[in-house]
Amino acid sequence: MKLSRKEQAESARNGDQTHLWEGVGKWEIVWTAETGQPRARPAFQDDLHRLRRYILPGSSMTSRDRPLDRSLYGSTTLRAPAPRAAALLRLRGFHSCYRSEKTNTKIPALLPGDHEISINPLHGSRSSISRFILNEENISLIPDTPEILNLSADFSTSTIHIKWNDKGSVFPHHSDVIWQIKILRKKKMEIVTLMTHNTTLNGKDTVHQWSWTSDMPLECVTHFVRMRCYVDDLHFSGHKEWSDWSPVKNISWSPDYQPKVIPKDKVILVGSDITVCCIIQEKVISAQFGKEMCSLIHLDGENVAIKIYNVSVSPTSGTNVVFTTDTNMVGTVIFAGYPPDIPQKLNCETRDLKEIICTWNPGRPTGLLGPHDTNYTLFENFSGQNVKRAEDTTNVNYQLFFQMIPNREIYNFTLKAHNPLGQSESTVLVNITERVYPHTPTSFKVKDINSTAVTLSWHLPGSFAKINLLCQIEITKSNSVQELQNVTVKGLENSSYLITVGKLSPYTNYTFRIRCSTETFWKWSSWTIEKQHLTTEAIPSKGPDTWREWSSDGRNLIIYWKPLPINEANGRILSYNVSCSSDEETQSLSEIPDRQHKAEIQLDKNDYIISVVAKNSVGSSPPSKIASMEIPNAPIVAPNFTVEDTSADSILVKWEDIPVEELRGFLRGYLFYFGKGERGTSKMRGLGSDRSDIKIKNITDISQKTLKIADLQGKTSYHLVLRAYTDGGIGPEKSMYVVTKENSVGLIIAILIPVAVAVIVGVVTSILCYRKREWIKETFYPDIPNPENCKALQFQKSVCEGNSALKTLEMNPCTPNNVEVLETRSVVPKIEDTEIISPVAEHPEDSSEAEPENHVVVSYCPPIIEEEIPNPVADEAGGTSQVIYIDVQSMYQPQAKPEEQENDSVGGSGYKPQMHLPVTSTVEDMTAEDDLDHTAGYRPQANVNTWNLVSPDSPRSTDSNSEIVSFGSPCSINSRQFLLPPKDEDSPKSSGGGWSFTNFFQNKPND
Amino acid sequence: MDLRAGDSWGLLACLCTVLWHLPAVPALNRTGDPGPGPSIQKTYDLTRYLEHQLRSLAGTYLNYLGPPFNEPDFNPPRLGAETLPRATVDPDVWRSLNDKLRLTQNYEAYSHLLCYLRGLNRQAATAELRRSLAHFCTSLQGLLGSIAGVMAALGYPLPQPLPGTEPTWAPGPAHSNFLQKMDDFWLLKELQTWLWRSAKDFNRLKKKMQPSAAAVTLRLEAHGF
Repeated sequence: MKLSRKEQAESARNGDQTHLWEGVGKWEIVWTAETGQPRARPAFQDDLHRLRRYILPGSSMTSRDRPLDRSLYGSTTLRAPAPRAAALLRLRGFHSCYRSEKTNTKIPALLPGDHEISINPLHGSRSSISRFILNEENISLIPDTPEILNLSADFSTSTIHIKWNDKGSVFPHHSDVIWQIKILRKKKMEIVTLMTHNTTLNGKDTVHQWSWTSDMPLECVTHFVRMRCYVDDLHFSGHKEWSDWSPVKNISWSPDYQPKVIPKDKVILVGSDITVCCIIQEKVISAQFGKEMCSLIHLDGENVAIKIYNVSVSPTSGTNVVFTTDTNMVGTVIFAGYPPDIPQKLNCETRDLKEIICTWNPGRPTGLLGPHDTNYTLFENFSGQNVKRAEDTTNVNYQLFFQMIPNREIYNFTLKAHNPLGQSESTVLVNITERVYPHTPTSFKVKDINSTAVTLSWHLPGSFAKINLLCQIEITKSNSVQELQNVTVKGLENSSYLITVGKLSPYTNYTFRIRCSTETFWKWSSWTIEKQHLTTEAIPSKGPDTWREWSSDGRNLIIYWKPLPINEANGRILSYNVSCSSDEETQSLSEIPDRQHKAEIQLDKNDYIISVVAKNSVGSSPPSKIASMEIPNAPIVAPNFTVEDTSADSILVKWEDIPVEELRGFLRGYLFYFGKGERGTSKMRGLGSDRSDIKIKNITDISQKTLKIADLQGKTSYHLVLRAYTDGGIGPEKSMYVVTKENSVGLIIAILIPVAVAVIVGVVTSILCYRKREWIKETFYPDIPNPENCKALQFQKSVCEGNSALKTLEMNPCTPNNVEVLETRSVVPKIEDTEIISPVAEHPEDSSEAEPENHVVVSYCPPIIEEEIPNPVADEAGGTSQVIYIDVQSMYQPQAKPEEQENDSVGGSGYKPQMHLPVTSTVEDMTAEDDLDHTAGYRPQANVNTWNLVSPDSPRSTDSNSEIVSFGSPCSINSRQFLLPPKDEDSPKSSGGGWSFTNFFQNKPND
Repeated sequence: MDLRAGDSWGLLACLCTVLWHLPAVPALNRTGDPGPGPSIQKTYDLTRYLEHQLRSLAGTYLNYLGPPFNEPDFNPPRLGAETLPRATVDPDVWRSLNDKLRLTQNYEAYSHLLCYLRGLNRQAATAELRRSLAHFCTSLQGLLGSIAGVMAALGYPLPQPLPGTEPTWAPGPAHSNFLQKMDDFWLLKELQTWLWRSAKDFNRLKKKMQPSAAAVTLRLEAHGF
């Protein structure tokens, strides 16, 4: 008999059944007998091993022997019926007696094997002695009901902490224990969860603790906890059972009577689930999470909860949760965000070697602001110092400043980010002297040293005493290229720096700017603002270029000079000094202002040395000297000249000025020589040569720069020479050979005449040939009939191929082969038969190659040539055709004209006969009725045509044009011509010609 | 509740001019020349301008508070926010008040509201919101000065701030974010009601004072509205 747990509990209350095990270490043996004796109830024997039954004295029970550690269980309680309390329990095996005043007693744990137990009432008859056999296998191990020592709750985290004692001391052996903890919720005790927790008994009383976190805030509803255990003792051979459930303990929260929404201002991870409850005395009408309306979960009383799954990121001020009643509105704010991302691109550098600036990128936004925003702390691991980022909501810069530690270069920074949802960190190890990003230099100044050198000075804050600075100077010369100079300067403590820049040009505008880095380059600073500077003046580097000229009356010497270029003036020229000195006297003109570049001095014709000096604010140039009487020289170069244009009889020449330096005097004019001559052969010898063919032109107008030479011969090489002359003489010559153009009109005539003659001859010849063509043909190309050429008559060959039509043209001469044609006739009926057998409907479009071939052969032969070739020939051919096709014609009744056929009119039957070959005269009617018939009669041709066109689908039946198309086939052409009535042949001009033409055109596509 | 964003720069420019002249009001009055008329007019104009400015601010701020605060039909029971001066008053009681009492109430109310607003500004999480709030606070400060000017012009003493009545903005740990938001909502709503009420007060006062300062008022009206 197996009792359910509930029944067991009931029977335990009734008192007439007792657990054999009471507690962990005692046997309890019970006997019940209203009469004072245990009843003999054999039916219960089987149940003995279940340990929850009456003990029946005297019943015999067998069980296997099993070793039992005697020390394992302390005692066994044997219980006697209450009315007869006093009894003597005798264990036969031990020969021990236990006296009990109650109806139970405890006995020590049993050794393996059966033990006979007898219970003797102390005051009763002997007959009431009960005996039974007891074995461990008949005993169940039911641990004591555990008790929860302490149940506490952390409301902020919704966590319940449970503490209990495992009472391990009663178990001498180590055993595994399974604890089951049941959490219930609400007054109705709805099971929330049932969890298992494993521990081990170690022979001592141990207090265990276990925690559970609720998805619902603990404030919302009362939570209950109970537990039970199961001892898995390996040494115990009997049955093991769960203990009873412990008494429940609960966690509840007693709020004041203010409505409350829980949790308050909670920060949660995006994507998690959250339960929000409202503790309120009024009926809640609706609940809202952000914009969403939520369904209510009813808790005890009017309290309600809502559960939100997969919460998304909250807006700036958090997500509002609002519960509305008739008269009230309560709510809370939930902040859903992310834990801080790992700080990215953490970079530490210094601008002045005093303070380190660490910057980073916060990565993914946490979605949390204000008090929940991420806190950043920068730790320096070697020194243990740290700095925190100001918790200012307006602080949008992710940077922290760390004061440098004296004499330390290596820093190991860890940046820790922390918010209510978690933390992260990233680390960077830097040698700070290699991470210097200097400030922009200030107080940038340029000072002159001399006309070619300046000093640049600037201030750079920072403790750079231990390192060298690398600075870059950008020098921009006015309207010129930029130049970059790198300079290394020794670093200083918050100091100004000074460098010299040399190799500058005097009196030139320069733009300077500078930026700095360190020798171990990390980053350039920004450029300073640009400074413009004009270098100072220097004395002019040379005197001006000078000329002199006697005035026309020969009494005054006019001295000219060229203003100095800026790179030689080295400043602003203020004046010129001119002096003329001879052995006897010295005349000088001083302070001739700039802008005036000549001076006139009255001199006699003695030799004077004239010197000109340019002066600027710094000093005078070295003098440039010339003698007064110097004879002007001839030019040292010839003018460059080019030929601008040439024609058959003229040349246009253009030349350039000779540079003043090379003129060496005042230009008086040009001499231009020209004459026939070719390169290498002709030379003009001597100026003003006597040779009559050389002409000279003297150009005295020196402003003239072009010359047109006329009256030249065409296509002739001319030798041109140009020279310049001054008072000092004639300069060198420059020569050139030019070939005049040809006279084009003569050339054109020379070409045209032969062409015209040739054309005329050709035309005349052609006309003659045409007129006499017959004679020519007779003479040179007499027609010689060649039977072998008549391929059309060779039936074995495929005549219907594209070329065959052409060949048949030539076989015209094979007129005499009547005999063969007659043989063909014997073939024709066959074809007719075929046609009859396969009339219109059956093979409207089928094209078997065999059929057309036969047909074609028959129908071809003579006529084509007959049409194409002039009458005499045609006569012969016509005769042939007549002979051949007389019968056929009579059958077909051929008369048609092609137009008629095309029109599908009744008259068009001229071509029908072939089509209606098998049907004979009735065809006409049918034709009139239906095109289909038409086509059908003509099928062989049509078939051939279709076949040729490679379009079997072409609609022969419905469209009259399709028939025309069919004519286009080589077969049809020929056959058509056969169909011509004899009279056509007699008068070829009337319709025969037309026919042939039509055929010709229709034939074309197939060719 | 009609708190909607909108703007009119012309109006703003004009009223800035008005603001600019506000400090001169008491001085003018002391000379006794123009009487209280112009300053009342200015105060009225400023009130109207603030009404307009508040609509814009409230739109931004309620969106910041998030749903359901920015929903058009959101009308919660007035819970908490007990320290906020209530603008709603029984019309009969209101009519029974004299000018001095009304002005005093206005002055006290705006002093309180300004304090709350400044606290609001400290709390705001976004820079843009802070700017809007700071701007509004400045305007409200101007209105307060303007009312003081009117009271001085009329010869009424300024109410002395009693010790302890100065509201302290302490959103301590007991104060939940939700209640805070509710307070913010009510602050904006009270402000709106107060501005509306003040506009009526000043209009009434203006009409009352009109005979004495008709010319000046007319000039201002021609200038401004």
